Amino acid sequence: MDFLLDDLDIDGALREAGEHAGISRATFLGGTVAGAVAAFAIAPPAEAARNPDIAVLNFALVLEYLQSSFYTEAERSKAVRGKAEDAAKRLGSVERAHVTAFKDLLGKKAIKRPAFNFRGTTEAERPFLKTAVALEDLAVAAYKGQAPRLRDKTVLAAAVAIHSVEARHAAWMRFLFGVQPAVNAFDDAVSKPEVRRVVGATRFVVARPRTSSRRRPRFTG
Amino acid sequence: MRRKTRAAAALGLVAACAVAGLGSLLLGGGDRDGDGQAAARRAVLPAPPRLALDVPTPKGLGNARHVAVWTSVLRPATARAHPQSSARRRARLSRRTPEGTANVVLVTGRESDARGRVWVRVRLPVLPNGTTGWVPRRTLGAYQAVRTHLVVDRRRLTATLLRDGRRIFRAGVGIGRARWPTPRGRFYIRNRLTRYRSATYGPLAFGTSARSATLTDWPAGGFVGIHGTDQPGLLPGRVSHGCIRMRNADILRLDRLVTVGTPVTIR
Repeated sequence: MDFLLDDLDIDGALREAGEHAGISRATFLGGTVAGAVAAFAIAPPAEAARNPDIAVLNFALVLEYLQSSFYTEAERSKAVRGKAEDAAKRLGSVERAHVTAFKDLLGKKAIKRPAFNFRGTTEAERPFLKTAVALEDLAVAAYKGQAPRLRDKTVLAAAVAIHSVEARHAAWMRFLFGVQPAVNAFDDAVSKPEVRRVVGATRFVVARPRTSSRRRPRFTG
Repeated sequence: MRRKTRAAAALGLVAACAVAGLGSLLLGGGDRDGDGQAAARRAVLPAPPRLALDVPTPKGLGNARHVAVWTSVLRPATARAHPQSSARRRARLSRRTPEGTANVVLVTGRESDARGRVWVRVRLPVLPNGTTGWVPRRTLGAYQAVRTHLVVDRRRLTATLLRDGRRIFRAGVGIGRARWPTPRGRFYIRNRLTRYRSATYGPLAFGTSARSATLTDWPAGGFVGIHGTDQPGLLPGRVSHGCIRMRNADILRLDRLVTVGTPVTIR
């Protein structure tokens, strides 16, 4: 079954963020995004050939970076209140724990945290909830897509343990946003290229600004 | 009465049979292959595999008092006195600093307007020092958090770096002379310049959002820097045009501890 962004993107939260950044709906739904998300280009081919699990784990780590940064920023913004704030705090702490666990497991092979520009979705309650639903649904579908590719059973066990947690998160955020937490008898998985395209289209992952220069200072001295 | 007793007894019998049947199914007693084979099959069921990773206990963000957030200007923006398009204009923000780096601003608040658009209050690198203004969120980039804070004491002639409120660095400094005073107030580190050819500024210079209120015609706007020196014998002292000078070893040590976006308090 083909995966459609609209299946995932509850009320178009991710698409809205993309359109806000000047990306057309057509590009978002079907086209490729120029300069795709470098962070998802993860392990070098030689490393991935030796141990395919490393590439999958780094892929999961990027998703955990994305989620943990999203909730952390929402909590710091203090723009989300009440039950949504409670959820942001709890889910943020869990996603940060996932990040720590993956980084410990990967050691020097762990990719670095990218910079994220959530484009205001962490700074108002409705956009926050809409985006949270979309990100959690994406994470659940992505874990499902990658789990069968894992070779090491202990890694698979870890992925399954986190997958069910992400599913609880998805249900929680869906409930808070007012959409059905459980709709289907079976859920579809999402492939890595599809996740890359969806996340790339939001332009949440951005290059860090250049803050260093070799120019001669002209400060007051 | 006797009918009721009989019905209750029949119900009880049915319930007992159901419980016994369920228990038999769960325990394998109902298996046609016999108890022995079922027990053998139970014995070979593998234990769940251990997890490859240890998920640590989730922790909250902790004390946010020492966290500052900065961002960069993505597209030219007008900073306004209030979070409204019609509010009085405070300053114009460009994407680049005079040194060619991203124009960084410190975030001090946020609000949504009546149309649901998010506005962000930022500390502005303009005169008068200490000016803040509101810019639309869409004109700004990714938020970055820092836990460091540099405090420059003009009376004691020291610079102290705090991380999470604890001192991790201190050095003597040179500051502006009486006629070109180093401005007092709350600022932030704007950029980092290195590998340039100028012994005057030492091996490294940080640009700040502070500006000299007296040298307003200084090239590039009279921004106050924190940098090294080729005259370490003058330090500490009131020796500069407003910049904060450090010995070269100190500025290099500071460079390993501080990042762009760090708040700077000059008191």
